[in-house]
Formats: sequence, structure tokens, C-alpha cells
Amino acid sequence: MPQIEVKTADLSITYDAIVVGSGAAGGMAAHVLTSHGMQVLLLEAGKKLPIEKELKSMEWPYEHPRRGHMPPDSYAIRYNEYNIRQPPYAKGVNAKHVYSYVQNWGGSDYSKNILVDEKDHPYTGTQYAWVRARALGGKTNIWGRLALRLSDYDFKAASRDGYGEDWPLSYADIESYYDRVDRYLGIAGHKENLPYLPDSIFQRSTRLNASEVMLREKLAGMDRVLTPYRAGVTTDGLKHNKYRSRCYGRGACDRRAGGCDIHAAFDSPTGLIYPAMDTGNLTLRTNSTVREVLVDKDTGKARGVAFTDTETGKSYEAKAKLVVLGASTLESARLLLLSKSRQYPNGLANSSGHVGHNFCEHIMGPSITGLVKDQVGQLRTLDDGRPGGFYVPRFRNLKEKNPNFLRGYGFEGDSGTHMFPDHANDTPGFGAAFKKKVRDQAGAYISMGAFGEVLPRYENYVDIDPTVKDRWGIPVLRFHYKFGDNEHKMAADMADSAREMFEQAGIEIMKLDRTVLTEGWSIHELGTARMGADPKKSVLNQFQQAHDVPNLMVVDGSSHVSASCQNPTWTIMALCWRSCDHIADAMKKGEV
Amino acid sequence: MERRELLKIAAVAATAGRLVEAQTQHKFFSAEEFAIVDELMEIIIPTDDHSPGARSALCAAYVDERLAEEPDAKVKDSWRAGIKQVDALSKSMNGVPFMAATPEGRTAVVERMSAQEKFFALVKEATIHAYYTSKIGIHQEMEYKGNVLLNQFVGTELAP
Repeated sequence: MPQIEVKTADLSITYDAIVVGSGAAGGMAAHVLTSHGMQVLLLEAGKKLPIEKELKSMEWPYEHPRRGHMPPDSYAIRYNEYNIRQPPYAKGVNAKHVYSYVQNWGGSDYSKNILVDEKDHPYTGTQYAWVRARALGGKTNIWGRLALRLSDYDFKAASRDGYGEDWPLSYADIESYYDRVDRYLGIAGHKENLPYLPDSIFQRSTRLNASEVMLREKLAGMDRVLTPYRAGVTTDGLKHNKYRSRCYGRGACDRRAGGCDIHAAFDSPTGLIYPAMDTGNLTLRTNSTVREVLVDKDTGKARGVAFTDTETGKSYEAKAKLVVLGASTLESARLLLLSKSRQYPNGLANSSGHVGHNFCEHIMGPSITGLVKDQVGQLRTLDDGRPGGFYVPRFRNLKEKNPNFLRGYGFEGDSGTHMFPDHANDTPGFGAAFKKKVRDQAGAYISMGAFGEVLPRYENYVDIDPTVKDRWGIPVLRFHYKFGDNEHKMAADMADSAREMFEQAGIEIMKLDRTVLTEGWSIHELGTARMGADPKKSVLNQFQQAHDVPNLMVVDGSSHVSASCQNPTWTIMALCWRSCDHIADAMKKGEV
Repeated sequence: MERRELLKIAAVAATAGRLVEAQTQHKFFSAEEFAIVDELMEIIIPTDDHSPGARSALCAAYVDERLAEEPDAKVKDSWRAGIKQVDALSKSMNGVPFMAATPEGRTAVVERMSAQEKFFALVKEATIHAYYTSKIGIHQEMEYKGNVLLNQFVGTELAP
């Protein structure tokens, strides 16, 4: 990969913009603002990782001393612990490093430098499986790659069913920005012409295997759709990006916590940040944890940020005309709430009292695994190395109104041969018969799990813990968050509908899991600084500018008004692009 | 030469290797413990006419290394205690310790363990992990075709 020249941050000057966070949101803000000729300082709390040396997605398990497992002094929090214990979960754990549950996935040794050590980053309150990545690129280094659009079924959901608030924009406002994200970053998929899941400008799609084609045909008879995984992966290559290769179907896409050595899968460093550096307009400072947005005493506008160097512990200030937060839904809310001043005693941009509130996400857990009998004993196919398997879009509350719950859910699924036969652990017995069964059934399993919309509620929120601080002395978040009745009824329907679909397709059901996973499990937290037309009920306007502070923007998932059931990354980037275009034009005209 | 004969030779070679190895120091298990674990694992995933089993894939050595660096004493103890139970069970069923029993006698012990014991689940899980992440498990047994450069994804292309 070409070498990147990193400019040294000059804290004596006033930048055109400071961007806080370097994931999907911060990376996109850096890309768009620098493309407008603005001088941008990008501050990332984590370290700059040579990510291509970290993931080793083509390494064979037996080439690693622990077959991909992390060293014995490290520990990952287990599912039961999230439900039995209270945060901070690392408290009392006798291990040198403690990580969130993601670190328990296969190949955990490859993500240990990406995820935060829970010992350094406690939080308190209600049970929540909070997954954080502090490194250049944030969670885009390990994201699941499912790249979906929202539609007016989502943006105008409140008008459709009467619950909550509409977004202050419609699909027509954002469509051209989704197009730009598709073209700039690359996305693989198959056109389906669904009004509730708009198509992207797709590159070459991944392909379905025989089991998936069979299920697709059966579901079509139920007026449901199974489509190849819409992956935020360039399968045809991107001529404008010298840091990324096209997908060669080779990597450990589903064997490890994610990430792609050749950067065919989108990650923020190679997709957005390195190209932004090549403009000469971007300065990056890593190991820089912003702890406060500073405001001008006279004008009340943002004037910069205060940050801690996480290696030296020293404090610094940086100045800018515009401050853009992209620190993640929960960290941006934390930062606003921490930024208290005489003018803003409840935290910055919080005259509405909505910062930290209307916190929502995706509920998950219900899942199904089945055996496609026709595939038992068949020749091995190669189903691994695809960026993903398949997606079954939402089918509830589209034409009919479900009597039990509002909104909908979709299924992510996968099937066929994988490098490691997961079903071996569920196959009874031992000996030659066991061995043959594992071998014969290797390509015959199919499974899927649901992601459902959690309704935003004012009562679900985060605030600042009055006593607990992180390793750098910064007060931490306290959770007040629980799934409600609508979510639990939806989850029951997820399991029922999964069974119905597999039965219709003649798939032998091996395992039907009705368990709802702990809050936070989907890593799709959203909505703590929502957009809206009314400053009394929202934090940001439709261009993600704070109603109270026009030169402050929050461009991550915290701005989302509702969660929809589609994975949020592509929408975060499309919205951010639109907002940054808007602010750059406004600043050129001297309006901000 | 027939594929089957090749496998037999491989199995004999592995057994010979084991005899040499039994003389050497293991990192966690004693020589006696190691032999029992190695045999349990081979009974769970044996050599068959398709591919070599857990012994050839050096599964016991992998577990030995992991346990040597395991910080949780409870995990270590559960292996030691489990191995003792295997011998005790064999004495009550076969009249002799596990390794002194006939192959049929050993299989009968594992059969009994599989019906009731937590230790069997522990050994089985470890065997599965070590075997299917080994060269033999991935390439010979499962005939995994991936981790190669593909110009086109495998599967069915849908009509537009």
C-alpha cells in the first residue's frame, strides 16, 4: 500500500474545521470538507494502526500459535455476564485486558488492538453490551459490511403509524447522496426494485448457492425477498482510489471479527481518510481524546475543543471555525453532555433536554439454523470468502398492519461450506460416524438471524455518571436503557416467522433460538442527538447542525430520528456528505 | 499406490512419532496424562479411509500448549480431574486402567463418558477446535477450497 504522509497538528492556528472521530462519520466529514478546500484537523481518540498488519485475513488458522485465539492474559465478556452482572463489566475480572463480547468471536487475536480495553473505559447503569473500537477508522475496521438504504417507509414512519417523529427530510433529499456514497466507496448487490429497500448503484453482486436460491424461490411465493448480501465492498474496483483493491473472494470475511487486508471492504482509513490526506488539506492527530467542545463566551459559538493526549496524559486545545462530532452515537452524546459552561449549563446543544435521549438501535437474537437435505453429502462448494451470504428485507407493517407490534425487521443469513464446521459442536456422538456426519453435512447448513427496529423513547437515555471516570479522568456514561413491549413482541414474531419460512422451504430445523440478546448487541446504537424541525424536541436541524450552536455539527448515528431495521452505516455516510456539502457552501457565503 | 494405503502409512508414521514423543517432556500433561488425552481425541475423531484423525493432527499437543499457559487454575484442574476419572471408569468397566484396556474396552469407556460426563464435552470441544483448524482437518478432511484468489464468485448468477 502507498505510504501516507501525516501532517503534524499545529495547535496555534485556527482550522476551518475540527472533526472528532475517524469512523464512517468522521472519515466522511474529513473527505467532504477537505474536498471543498477546507483545512481540517481530524482528532482520533485511538491509535493509528497499520491495519493491514493487524487483520491478516488470509492467514490460515494453523499459522497462528493459538489458532487465532487471543493470549491467555486477555478476557472477553461472555453473554451471561452481560445479563447477570451490572456494568462496569471489567470490575473484578482477574485478567490483564478485558474486552467486549466481540472479542470472543473466532480469530479474536486479530481484533485485540482495535477494540477498547474495558478496564480503561468503564460505563455504568443498566445492562448494555457496548462495543467500542478506538483506532483510526473506528468500528469500520471490523464492521459487518451490510450496506442498506433507508426509504420513506423509515423517514416518514411516524406519519405512517403515528408513533414518534418523522425525519426532517425525505428519501428524495438524500437519494443523490446515497448514489455518491455508492460510487465513491463501492457496493455489491442485486437490484430488486423494492420501495421499502431502495437499490444502490451496485457493482458485481456476490452469488447465492443452491440452498439460498431454493429459499429465494420459496420466499418469493410468500411475497418475501431473499437477496444477495448488499455488501459495502468494491467487487469491480475503484479507479479513483489507490489504497483499495477489488474483492477476490479470498478473505476471512466471516471467520473473524471482520476487516479486510486488501480493503475491498470499505474501511474509513483507506476509503476516506488517506485520499483526504492526499488533498493536502487534512491534518490527523491520533491518541487524542476530546473531552470538551469549547465555546466563545461572547457569541456562544463553538471555538474549538479540549483534548487529552492518551499517551502522555497532557491536555491541549485546538481551534476551528467549525466543530464536527463523529465520535459515535454514544460518545458524541457524552461529549455534548460533558461540554457544560455558563451559557450551556445542561451541556452543549441541549436546550431541548433531548441530548442522550431517544436512544434506539436494533434488537437481535432470534435466529434459526436448518439443514437442507439435498445438500448433504454433495461435493464441496466454496461459500466462504464472500463478503456476506444473504439478506431477507423487512416484510412486516408494509402493506398490512401487524396487530402486535409496530415497524419491522430483516434477516441476515448465510449457508454452505465454511473453513470451520461450526455444526460439529452441535453434532452428537463421536468416532468415525461422527466424523463422517460432520463432513457430509458441511455444506448443507443454512442459518439466519433477525435485526429489528427498536422504537425511540425519551425514557431510554444516557447521562454522565456523577462519580465514575475513565482512565484519563473523563466522567463516563451511565445507561438508562431497556427494550420495551414492542421489541419483545417483535422478537417473538422473528422466531415464529423464521420457523414458518424454513418450514415452507422444506428445510429441517436444527435449532430455533428465541433468546433476545442483551441491549447493545447489534452495535447499531442510534438517536441520542436527533434531528428535527422543532428545536424544542430535537437537537439538530436536517443538516445535522445544532439548533443552539450553528457552527457545531453531529454527523454520526446520534442524529438519526428512528432506527429503521436497516443497518445504519451507509445512511450515516450519505447524511454526513449532504450536511457537509451544505455547511461548506454556507461557510463560503459567510453564513455560519 | 492406493489412497487408503497412503493413509495407513501416515497413521503408522504418526504412531511411531508418538512413541518418540511420549519420552519427551510435555508442557502441561504428564506422559501418562498425555497418552490418555491423545487416545481420547483419536477415539472422538479417528483416522478413517477419508483422512487421518486427531492423533496425526497433533490435537493433544495443541491442548497441552494451551493448558500450559492457561491462567485459570480451575480449567487446569478440570482436565487433571477428568483424566483421573477416565482411568477410574476404565478400572470399574474393564478391570484395568484406560491405556491398558483393549481398543473395544476404551471405546466402551468413551461411550459411557459421552452419555453422562462434562469432561467428555470438554475433550470433544477441544478436539473439534484443534482438529478442524489443523492442516489435516482443513485440507484433507474437509477439503476446504477457499482462501484462494477468485476472479468470479462461486454460485448462481441471478437474472437481472
